[in-house]
Amino acid sequence: MTEALVGLGLMMVLALLRIPIAFSMGVVGFLGVAYLRDWNFAPAMAMVETKIYETGRNYTLSVIPLFILMGNFVSRAGMSKELFRAAYTFVGHLRGGLAMAAIVACAGFSAICGSSIATAATMAKVAYPAMKDIGYSDRLSTGAIASGGTLGILIPPSTLMVIYGVMTETNIGKMFAAGILPGILATVLLCIAVQWTVWRDPDSGPRGERSTWSQRLRAAEGVWAVVLLFVLVMGGIYGGIFTTTEGAGIGAFGAFCIAVSRRALTWRTLLDALVESGRTTAMLFVILTGALMFAEFVNYTTMPDDLKHLVTAFNLSPIMVITAICIIYVLLGTAMEELSMILLTVPVFFPLVVHLGFDPIWFGILVVVVVEIGLISPPVGMNLFVLKALLPNVSTTTLFLGVLPFVIADIIRLGILIAFPSISLWLPSMMR
Amino acid sequence: MSSEHQDGGVWLDRALGAAAALLLFCLMAVTTVDVIGRYILNWPLRGGFEITELLLLTLIFAGLPLVSRADEHVTMDFIDAAFGERGRRVIRRIVDIVCGVIILALAWRVYVKAGKIAGYGDTTDILLIPVAPFVYFMALMVAITGIVHLVKAALPGAYRDDNKPFDPDKAGTT
Repeated sequence: MTEALVGLGLMMVLALLRIPIAFSMGVVGFLGVAYLRDWNFAPAMAMVETKIYETGRNYTLSVIPLFILMGNFVSRAGMSKELFRAAYTFVGHLRGGLAMAAIVACAGFSAICGSSIATAATMAKVAYPAMKDIGYSDRLSTGAIASGGTLGILIPPSTLMVIYGVMTETNIGKMFAAGILPGILATVLLCIAVQWTVWRDPDSGPRGERSTWSQRLRAAEGVWAVVLLFVLVMGGIYGGIFTTTEGAGIGAFGAFCIAVSRRALTWRTLLDALVESGRTTAMLFVILTGALMFAEFVNYTTMPDDLKHLVTAFNLSPIMVITAICIIYVLLGTAMEELSMILLTVPVFFPLVVHLGFDPIWFGILVVVVVEIGLISPPVGMNLFVLKALLPNVSTTTLFLGVLPFVIADIIRLGILIAFPSISLWLPSMMR
Repeated sequence: MSSEHQDGGVWLDRALGAAAALLLFCLMAVTTVDVIGRYILNWPLRGGFEITELLLLTLIFAGLPLVSRADEHVTMDFIDAAFGERGRRVIRRIVDIVCGVIILALAWRVYVKAGKIAGYGDTTDILLIPVAPFVYFMALMVAITGIVHLVKAALPGAYRDDNKPFDPDKAGTT
């Protein structure tokens, strides 16, 4: 176990010296493998060659650029406006209704976009001005948007689920199915957090106008494209009609058609969407390759086995281990960048979790939920940074304080998902 | 001298950006045509799987120099708080040299791998496309990425746009 811990420490030192995390992991993986073979560099070099080549030439991974592209198209198509409008007509007249509408609209947007950051950004542009207009407090409005945005990686499609699936060889289609019910639970809990906030301070979220049923139906019609795209892609994957890659291709193409039909795409924005998606893909592959090299080293060490023995020696119950892992994740997530946290720790924890008899899909959902919490927990939370960049007039303190009720709602959700695995596992269990 | 390098960099961004855009669009089109062909027209695209695989590989490695050019690698920047403007630039210069060296070493290994693959004359199963040229392309792109880092370290004005605004419009990875 010592060599794995030294490796982890060295990796952290390199990363703190500002070496990109992908290279920090790759270098440590390379040196580690060489060390374990008595400083014979030939197997380590062969390992590096193989990892680069195999990550690059991997059919399953083609879902990643395609889902990223789909997200970039739907963000540019401006579909968040209709989603917010539709949600508003149903709940806008309630106290805190616009904040709840923003959260529900985020959930809807998440069904066609696999990125939390993009979901928060796109919703901020639509929902924040609307809330500002009728006198919402900045705390409530930004908290609702930042936390609602995190649903992007929980409700399928989800880039993070694909990465988890690839790292642990878990079925990606089943991961997607597993995210749906926890996503609905999350939406409900975040709305309860809104209600709690307006109960404490009724002025923070005044009522909007009540809509008539004919207005509601008309607004609901406006989101048909979102519903169609979700049903086509996720229904196709869930029903086994096509593979995840094919679903992602159809999803990207559908999003492209929607964006074209709404005249949201010029040659310029089309090129931007494609180049940005390509760059994000390359960035992700670099860090994934580095993580796989690091994982190769960890797997050769005695660390996975030592952890198992440790659990047996201290007579820890499996549920205590899971709880401990989740607590570690929530704490790490406050300060660390979430993607690298997952890539670095999953190789260490995953064998233990499987050894304890837990379902990899369920653990995957827990991993996604702790990342969601990390994205909105101060001081380092990506979604908070996104809002800060888009809304420079809102102070960082306001952002941090505003999101707190939602962080608590998320932690309660994590507890519920740990206590009731069937919420995550029921839908995937029905798949063939 | 400096502006010449900058122009070279902009040219690289444009060429590889256009290539990446085209490749990704093809990736989307191939998957879509494959699915529609199979389920609706009962006429599957022959070797669609292989084309997808090779398109993905080319896309990733064409995008690699762009990621380094745009400084988009995931990095922890806690150390920045401890240094002033000049100290930060020195650190970034050193980091770029280290990264450049690591990446050039990788390029060498990928080049060796490409030689091995060319040696067995490896091709794809159905369309019999030779694989080696793609692996040589990988090696070339990795080498260019390494050079991008080294050029950055050598250029005087490379880190001026340090506080570039965060672009929230991107569908990121989390």
